[in-house]
Amino acid sequence: MRGKDVVLDNVSITYPNGFTAVQTTDLRIEAGEFFSILGPSGCGKTTILRAVSGFIAPSTGRIVIGGEDMGTKGPNVRPTALIFQNLALFPLMPVWENVAFGLEARGVSKRERRAKAQELLDLVALSDQGDKLPGELSGGQRQRVAIARALAVEPAVLLLDEPLSALDLKLRQHMRAELRDIQRRTGVTFIYITHDQGEALTMSDRIAVMNEGVIEQFGTGDAIYSAPRTAFAASFVGEANRFDGRIERAEGDQAIIATSLGQFRARNPGELIPGSEAMLFVRPEAMALGAGENNLAARLVRRDLEGAFVNLFFEIQGHEIAVHLTNTGHAVDAGPGQVASLSFAANHGVILPAGPLARTGREMAAQ
Amino acid sequence: MKGLFAGYGRGLTLAFFAAVALWSLMLIILPQLTMLERALTPPKRAMDSSIAMILARDADTCISVLETFMEAPADAAPANGGMAVPSASGMAVPSASGMAVPSASGGAAGGATRPYILQCDRATTHVGLTLNSGEEPAHLDTTYDLPLIAVSDSDPIPEQIATAEEIIEIALKLAEQLKAAEAAANPWTLDNFGWLVAAGEIPLSDSQQVIEDAKISKNLMGLVGLRFEQDGQVFERIGLIILTRTILFAAAATGLALLLCYPIAYKVALATPANRAIWLFLGLVIPYAIVELMRIYAWTAIIDNQGLINGFLQWIGAIDDPIQFKRSPMTVFVVIVYTYVLFMVFPIFNVMSTLDRNQIEAARDLGGSPWRVHARIIIPHAKPGIAVGTIATFMLAAGAFSVPRIISRRLQAEWFAQTIYNKFFESENSNIGAAYSFAYTLICFALVALFMWLMRTRLKDFARVQCTRIVFSASRPGRSSPSCLRRSC
Repeated sequence: MRGKDVVLDNVSITYPNGFTAVQTTDLRIEAGEFFSILGPSGCGKTTILRAVSGFIAPSTGRIVIGGEDMGTKGPNVRPTALIFQNLALFPLMPVWENVAFGLEARGVSKRERRAKAQELLDLVALSDQGDKLPGELSGGQRQRVAIARALAVEPAVLLLDEPLSALDLKLRQHMRAELRDIQRRTGVTFIYITHDQGEALTMSDRIAVMNEGVIEQFGTGDAIYSAPRTAFAASFVGEANRFDGRIERAEGDQAIIATSLGQFRARNPGELIPGSEAMLFVRPEAMALGAGENNLAARLVRRDLEGAFVNLFFEIQGHEIAVHLTNTGHAVDAGPGQVASLSFAANHGVILPAGPLARTGREMAAQ
Repeated sequence: MKGLFAGYGRGLTLAFFAAVALWSLMLIILPQLTMLERALTPPKRAMDSSIAMILARDADTCISVLETFMEAPADAAPANGGMAVPSASGMAVPSASGMAVPSASGGAAGGATRPYILQCDRATTHVGLTLNSGEEPAHLDTTYDLPLIAVSDSDPIPEQIATAEEIIEIALKLAEQLKAAEAAANPWTLDNFGWLVAAGEIPLSDSQQVIEDAKISKNLMGLVGLRFEQDGQVFERIGLIILTRTILFAAAATGLALLLCYPIAYKVALATPANRAIWLFLGLVIPYAIVELMRIYAWTAIIDNQGLINGFLQWIGAIDDPIQFKRSPMTVFVVIVYTYVLFMVFPIFNVMSTLDRNQIEAARDLGGSPWRVHARIIIPHAKPGIAVGTIATFMLAAGAFSVPRIISRRLQAEWFAQTIYNKFFESENSNIGAAYSFAYTLICFALVALFMWLMRTRLKDFARVQCTRIVFSASRPGRSSPSCLRRSC
């Protein structure tokens, strides 16, 4: 099996009711790549997936797979296979017939189908489950049946629509590794849809962060995490302390931002000019106790032990500031109410133009 | 049982079981047993004791008529000039019995002193006995060795009354004996069922017979023994022919309804956005808010000789003479399909709408053609609904009475439900009617059982579908319901 590249050329998708789910997008997904589209629910990521698989047609632009314009080709003739969020296994067929359905549709003889299905079941470690019905398998086994069924048609591009979201945490973590492994072995292009940044970061070669129909940023997981380009990407992927303010002055690739808590120096990748509204983001693990390049004093509110990390939550002028420290065994023994001085290095902070943010857990809970 | 007690409480569970038991007893078991008993016993009036009772009743009526005649004969007879034409006063005489038929010709029978009285004429021990299987009718006097006594209208009236009384005595005595004997004898007989397979002679001229012999349907009937020739005469097992024809028509109507309903159910359940499906749905339901008879009568307005179709065709000049729709079996067929189509649509629609549309998309995505998606995904899923709809429609069509009756206006061969009705209420032989309907019930039941056996494996699968769906949805986070999982498969 060999993957193919997928190109979204000027694609936008507007539903008949007038809602534009995907704004004009240009995207190139390389052949054999594990590509994730990461975004909150309703951001349009599933719409992109359905457009690539052929269930909906883009309103503008074209979708090119392996150099071939898909045009109005239906899902049954595209070199793609889709794994549904609820898997959509056929409950009345035994597992092996599920796996062989795509071959049956291509007119392959029963004996060959059986052999090929067995081969794929071996690949996903379900060798002796072929004659069971999907309902008799566990969640993880069903997951693997869905993967085998999609791989049976030898797709060049495998589209996965949050397939792990229904699984327990441990199983989910295991399946991540398994998916990655299957992708490497088969060389098929994977396009993986998820709202779980952990999944996206651990599995993907590259990630696109999407919000409200717009791809905010795409790049490797490292780049997305360490060098976010928009306020949304910075706030959606990972945790971040945010300070709103105005650019005081720019100095090379850094800038000074004036906030209600004082002036801070940090990276300025967008080359913002003085006077512009900006947001400073600092990861909790980039914060340190004691003095440094940028300093502020805050009152300790809460201390959470999370095993490898100790999470400290400070409060200053109504702002909550999180600090994640590696648990070395003799780290901080601070009690609530204590005022401590905090600092962060200038190249650990990033100043981005003010923009829409990802919703916080509190906002989601309130809804 | 314990689970039911726990789930619904003892009172509700017992009430439910009591209702089910009462329902099956009152509406299924008792009526069918009554029907079976009737079917297996000869009609009461065909029994010899009943014949004797009729004789006694005739003689009794004869006496009462004669008595009224004796009270006021003196002026009536001369006034009539011996012609026995009922006079104004004479008119009162027959009304006493209600059955007596005075006749002018009776008076001519040699110096009669009374008009002809039907009951007196019938009051003779030489009464014909109805015997089965077309033998020569026997007579009470010869069969039971009775003296041959008759009320002779040439006797003086008091003598006639005495004779009649004698007849009553003999008849009642005989009836009593016969009743005792009949009560002691085995009352069961299969004769009523015999009528269903009995062959009747079809009188045909030679030229007609040539035409009939050439018909494919007649030849087919010959092949399966429904029609045969004996001594140059054609015989047909009419009861069986009607039954077979009805079942074939009902099966064909069911098949047509299925062909019609599957696409509709698919369209409404799976291929239309929910907000628009509701309009399609209303379109299906509204015609059924009209009483069934009204729906059928509406068709007569369409198919009449002066109806919509003929009117339109004549108006555009396509035909000169109206098409006789009411004489065509096809019309009955179409109206039956129309009348019962909803009983097919709804079960299929209900099951289909439980299908996860993702399965259809998955099958499409894997390269399945629309045909294959139907054959492998949708039909297997909808099979229980198809089975239920087919059974319901078939049973309704097989038992259809009003549609063939109203549409054909007796201008075409009857359907079996009409035959049963006629046996019950028109030929007044409810025992044969009971035998017919019981046999018909059995045959239809056997057909349904056969059909269910053919669908057997898939019905089992259906239980599994439901389970799987529950398990799948239960495994979604935040929606787990362990009780469903425990009960699964």
